[in-house]
Amino acid sequence: MYSLLLDSSNTNLSVGICKNNQIIYQNSFSCWQRQSELMIPEIEKGLKEVSLSLLDFEEIVCAKGPGSYTGVRIALTIAKIISQMSGAKLILVSSLMAMGNANKKYIALMNARSARSYIGIYDQGKVILEDTIKTNEEVKELIKEYSSFEVVGEGSYLGIETTLPNEVEGLLSWKELINPEEDVLKVKPVYLKDNYGI
Amino acid sequence: MKVFFTSKSLDDTKKLALVIAKNLTRGMVISLDGDLGAGKTTFTKSLSLGLDIKEEVSSPTFNILKCYFSGKLPLYHIDAYRLEDQINMDIGLEEVIEGDGVCVIEWGRFIEELIFEPLNIKISIINASERIFEISSDFSKYDLIINKIKEELNV
Repeated sequence: MYSLLLDSSNTNLSVGICKNNQIIYQNSFSCWQRQSELMIPEIEKGLKEVSLSLLDFEEIVCAKGPGSYTGVRIALTIAKIISQMSGAKLILVSSLMAMGNANKKYIALMNARSARSYIGIYDQGKVILEDTIKTNEEVKELIKEYSSFEVVGEGSYLGIETTLPNEVEGLLSWKELINPEEDVLKVKPVYLKDNYGI
Repeated sequence: MKVFFTSKSLDDTKKLALVIAKNLTRGMVISLDGDLGAGKTTFTKSLSLGLDIKEEVSSPTFNILKCYFSGKLPLYHIDAYRLEDQINMDIGLEEVIEGDGVCVIEWGRFIEELIFEPLNIKISIINASERIFEISSDFSKYDLIINKIKEELNV
């Protein structure tokens, strides 16, 4: 069984291909604000490398937000189209969850601008703090409170040390814990900012 | 800090833009205001030359945001004119305003609440070829730029 894993919700563009839950192709690189140009060529590159076609996938695993307003929609739109076209199952994982491995204890962080962050806290597959938006001061308090948890993300805007995310591995580790979407057409990105009307 | 610069020609405007461009760093934001035809886009074009951007910069009035990646720093060029009604402004602009490059915003006053620590440039039309640029900021990170303008352009 082949799975396609996609994420473009933050600064990275990540494409992964799995065969029976083993990664056979992965590419992830920073391309802030350029994911719309590069996501499709990157998927094509991956398919070519492992000699597969889009119709070979039984499931598409994609990050659904929160994250960059445009970025979140790029991978999700592509994932929806492929799922519609091929009938592949669509599994959506929070973009914060996808930053780390479901087997670990971690705090996932993203810069939400205006001195705020998107944050989620997870303990070996359990959600400790549901994805939310908090002020950077509150985030620093939470990091202190959960000091045994790894902090994943790009922490330079907070001046803290963090582990960089591996989205392909993250998506793969969470997908078994999440049910596929029942109605792919109704799927919407998650923004968390109250002023982003959909 | 504040400085006034009188431009008597496109060349003068270019000189001013080059001094500013040379001293821009990641995360800086320029909010441009001035009437239609004051030269906001012309100023941005000159600024792009100073950032070594290879593409031709054109007005983002239709697109709202245009991005240029070929220079020393990414340039994000926003025209907020069509956001005046405040209805469609939640389109993630804060990510490029507080972003990894330089952001230039025309008609910045229409999206004031989204603008993060700007250098304000107000362009006033004196006559067909003459403009007065009022360059000011409440943030000390722009002191160097304002001092360089004073120094290098003798104003």
